[in-house]
Amino acid sequence: MKFFSQTFLYDDPWPTVSLAFFLRYPNPFASHVVSCDVISRTVSPTGTMVTTRLILKRGSLPKWAPQGIMSKAESWIIEESEVDPLNGVVRCTTKNLDHVKVMRVEEDVTLQRTEDGKTLQKTEARFVSNFGWGLTKRLESHSLARFKANVQRSREGLSLVLVLSWTLTGILLVG
Amino acid sequence: MAHSLSDDCTPLKREYDSCFNAWFEGYLEPAVAATPAERLQHAQGKAEEYERNCGAIWTQYRSCVQKAVKDKGLDTLLQQAREENPLNEPPSIRASEGTSVS
Repeated sequence: MKFFSQTFLYDDPWPTVSLAFFLRYPNPFASHVVSCDVISRTVSPTGTMVTTRLILKRGSLPKWAPQGIMSKAESWIIEESEVDPLNGVVRCTTKNLDHVKVMRVEEDVTLQRTEDGKTLQKTEARFVSNFGWGLTKRLESHSLARFKANVQRSREGLSLVLVLSWTLTGILLVG
Repeated sequence: MAHSLSDDCTPLKREYDSCFNAWFEGYLEPAVAATPAERLQHAQGKAEEYERNCGAIWTQYRSCVQKAVKDKGLDTLLQQAREENPLNEPPSIRASEGTSVS
């Protein structure tokens, strides 16, 4: 198993970052997202909202991976999130549904409102392969490396959505 | 907005997403200075507003997606994920744990 953990501070307030987080697909940094659907959503009378989304992502396998370990380089991802606007927290967990023997990736993200009006993002991810054939470790290391590179891209994507949301608000206010 | 997993559902998804996004922005910014009772009232108000504004399109979109999920055979995978049981493994892969050198 490989583990990844990182925190990042956004200067933007929590409602803005949380909105961008939910609207982050599509963006030019996430061209690998093929589809994204809400399959269940509950808004509780106590104020929290629980959502399950089903996302199809396109990926690519490393050159050294054996032929045919995945029928298609696509993966179904389930994303479960909880939004608590009173306490200023979004909790979100994602994992892949298929190809789990080759690789299971579980990612936990929290967006927490800070006292000075910013937003703290915590990301944790676990990579587990049960593939065997002497490739387990290599597959896990490869996934971790790809994930690290993608964290930067997803942050750029989210930042772009933030900028666009501000721009759009500006246009609406001016126009 | 991103596509739905089924092209048939994409128009419904877009309509639902627009409705949800408009509601969600207000939902994320409750009155911070309010008393707990006022906050609860606000939350209940927002839940009712969501149902009132987006309930009908959500029902249509959901049934479209539920059918598509079933047609693609994804319902079993989802059920397993929800029960947090180990997922089915693709039968084509037979890698034994014993051969792993990790």
